[in-house]
Amino acid sequence: MSAVAPSRLALLTRLRCSIFQTAYNPTSIRTGAKYLRARLRGPSMVNYYPVQLSISEARKMFPKFDAIDFQEQERVEDVEARKARGKGTPRKARSKDESRRTKRRR
Amino acid sequence: MRPNFNVRVLRDQKARTGVLNNEIARRAYLYVARNQSLPAQVRYQAQLQLNTFDKYTRPTTVKNRCTETGRGRGIMSEFGLCRYQFRLKAKAGELPGVKKASW
Repeated sequence: MSAVAPSRLALLTRLRCSIFQTAYNPTSIRTGAKYLRARLRGPSMVNYYPVQLSISEARKMFPKFDAIDFQEQERVEDVEARKARGKGTPRKARSKDESRRTKRRR
Repeated sequence: MRPNFNVRVLRDQKARTGVLNNEIARRAYLYVARNQSLPAQVRYQAQLQLNTFDKYTRPTTVKNRCTETGRGRGIMSEFGLCRYQFRLKAKAGELPGVKKASW
């Protein structure tokens, strides 16, 4: 039984590649083709989170849209109530001596 | 109403748009950098270019988070919900075809 010459085998693979339209790559070199072949993943990635409108956004888009944002209303009322009790945000310090941080360190 | 989204969800959304905007350029550089039939100098240059891209243009920085609460762990990928939100929604009958097992 006679072995088939390697050159003949190479010819066979070359022919096979031309028939089945595949790239002839006998040394299995990396061509980077898989980065071009793969589908783009960005378009489906962007649509992962469902689009949700908040009331403030809806107001910006449609100025005539007149809806009451109850949560925002409640927040503002809470802040007002806190201010009335003297629990509002402290004033911005004008100088370094005024800042609370330096006082705390002593 | 907008759900209680946290900063991690915002970061994830940033990554998603970054991937979308830079995907084609990144792929082109990847092709050059990984192509062994090209000269080493060219491949090295392409790799350097790849390194200049922002962190949030890499697809691996994207993480599927819960679409309801923004939780990052225990996500059922078919529904995009974390395990607790999945349970709540399934029990409320908001997930078609999902039923509590009983035998």
